[in-house]
Amino acid sequence: MKIRTMLGLSVAASALAVASAAQAQQAYDQFSSHWYTDAQSRIAEIASRPVNVNQARNVILFLADGFGVSTIMAARVLQGQLRGESGEENYLFLETFPHSALVKTYNTDAQIPDSAGTATAFLTGAKTYSGSIGIAETGRLGDCAASQGAELLSIVDLAEMAGMSTGVISTARITHATPGSAYAKAAHRDWEDDDDMDPADIAMGCKDIASQLIDYQYGDGIEVAMGGGRSSFLPNTVADPEDEGRTGNRRDGRDLTQEWLSKYPNSAYVWNKAGLDALDLEATDHLLALFNRSHMQYEVDRAADVGGEPSLAEMALAAIQILDRNPNGYFLLVEGGRVDHAHHEGNAHRALHDAVAFDEAIKAVAETVDLNETLIVVTADHSHTFFVAGYADRGNPILGLSVEGGELALADDGMPYTTLGYGNGPGGLAPGATRADLTNVDTTDVDFLQQALVPMSSETHGGEDVAVFATGPWAHLFQTTQEQSFVFHVMAHSLNLLERAGK
Amino acid sequence: MISRRQLVSGLALAPVATVLAPGLARATPSLRIRDIYLGGGEFSEAAHSLVGKTVMIPGFMAPPLKPDARFFVLTRRPMAVCPFCDNEADWPRDIVLVKLAGPIEWLPFNLPIEVTGTLELGTEIDEETGFVSRVRLVDAEVEQA
Repeated sequence: MKIRTMLGLSVAASALAVASAAQAQQAYDQFSSHWYTDAQSRIAEIASRPVNVNQARNVILFLADGFGVSTIMAARVLQGQLRGESGEENYLFLETFPHSALVKTYNTDAQIPDSAGTATAFLTGAKTYSGSIGIAETGRLGDCAASQGAELLSIVDLAEMAGMSTGVISTARITHATPGSAYAKAAHRDWEDDDDMDPADIAMGCKDIASQLIDYQYGDGIEVAMGGGRSSFLPNTVADPEDEGRTGNRRDGRDLTQEWLSKYPNSAYVWNKAGLDALDLEATDHLLALFNRSHMQYEVDRAADVGGEPSLAEMALAAIQILDRNPNGYFLLVEGGRVDHAHHEGNAHRALHDAVAFDEAIKAVAETVDLNETLIVVTADHSHTFFVAGYADRGNPILGLSVEGGELALADDGMPYTTLGYGNGPGGLAPGATRADLTNVDTTDVDFLQQALVPMSSETHGGEDVAVFATGPWAHLFQTTQEQSFVFHVMAHSLNLLERAGK
Repeated sequence: MISRRQLVSGLALAPVATVLAPGLARATPSLRIRDIYLGGGEFSEAAHSLVGKTVMIPGFMAPPLKPDARFFVLTRRPMAVCPFCDNEADWPRDIVLVKLAGPIEWLPFNLPIEVTGTLELGTEIDEETGFVSRVRLVDAEVEQA
């Protein structure tokens, strides 16, 4: 190791000598370098930026599950490299928003949180326990009785009470932790349909999450729900339209897709992209779209989907067409739900491509809405054990092996390593195994799993803060480090929502 | 006349079914799980051409649904659990059901393996477990990659 360090130093020293010779001919003009001119124009732009204290007409919350700061950095580099650039200098579109803060993600009973407790925090304004879907911290995981009377109102509920339109979109199941917390109250995040519940809890009056989307009671009902999770809406006697040999999950015989159509006039239910494309959105007041039996595909797998799925951007733009007709405005939640899943698999390729697709959805929406009247908030629920490590050269492929000083870098075991890795997960070693030699492995391959320190069947969440970015009315309230529940309060404040909802 | 560059790029584009994995009998064609399907759920030409033949598919062994099972799920990438599935039987579409020729030792879920057996395509629902499969390797044997 010492020899390598010394060699590195001697290379650096000779590079310095060459640089000095060049400087003798042409001095580096520090004060007119692009670092100076770029920063000066940014300061001028920030100093002259008006603060928008209008009451927001609309709020759009973009949430990527598991989108920690290391994921933001790696996605930023990947996005640039996909355009043929070096990558590091790139900004994701969401990073161009003028205001940001750090967010503490813990749950009331957990140092490192789960997605249900975190979603409940930023959607209801109150932190709660891990696994809660809209139930306060006085409840307990899976305890039906303790959840009764502890239900929290979400920003969707309050917006509906205020006469606004509402929409919930996810690439995960629409009954999953984040979208579920927008409209349902359940003591356990796993209660996605009645097949997931103990009959005793159902008898006690607790409801499964899918049924709560259809039986929703606030305002004139949620206008748009789009995502995966179709099996929780169909009886176990009804064949799935997309997956041969499969049926719905429900034991109670309810076909919730048909109930949606019966409940709302001018409503639609679609299960594939062709169905969505064929809709007259201007004539549709309530849209339920369930594009997969379980989660929707990862972005890189989307083209191969059997039934055909829209992108996150296409779903968001379609939703806005329906929601924007309400003069009282709208609240829309858009979740990139599967950055998290790919990280759990230890598969950075899919996680980062889903992160890039998430950014594309934000750009498409921000270019469509009026930012003078629409607050857009972008954040994550929690981070992962995902790291970006080594001393890779500028422009080194972010999914590649670490190349340092133009040469393949070797660890103390004499073998190369990737820039990206995980603290734990499926990339960890089986007992007794030695680290795999990646010399001839294509680590940029779609199915490559990054190596991990601690072997675990599923990679875990990470506990460090996540970022929040915002633009539009009252976005400047995002400053310094905040509790995750604070995110709700900025959104509610911008809409004057509590007063409008009579709270 | 074919230049060296054309020859190299031609090789790179050769159908995957002709690519042989090291350490296996040269006569056994191999097929990657990712090359079994086209878009829209259709099977690829490469997959169709190997139906009924002895084929090697590389992948990973998902832990058995039952300890004494004579079958397992071969996955594209290591997947000990399906953390986002509704239930045990709700696996991603791009898996291969492996029906074993004889008893084997279960291997760690993240150890690369090569499974050789007779390729079957088409939906089948296992009577005993209700497990739905679209691609199977039957009479199969397992080697570490």
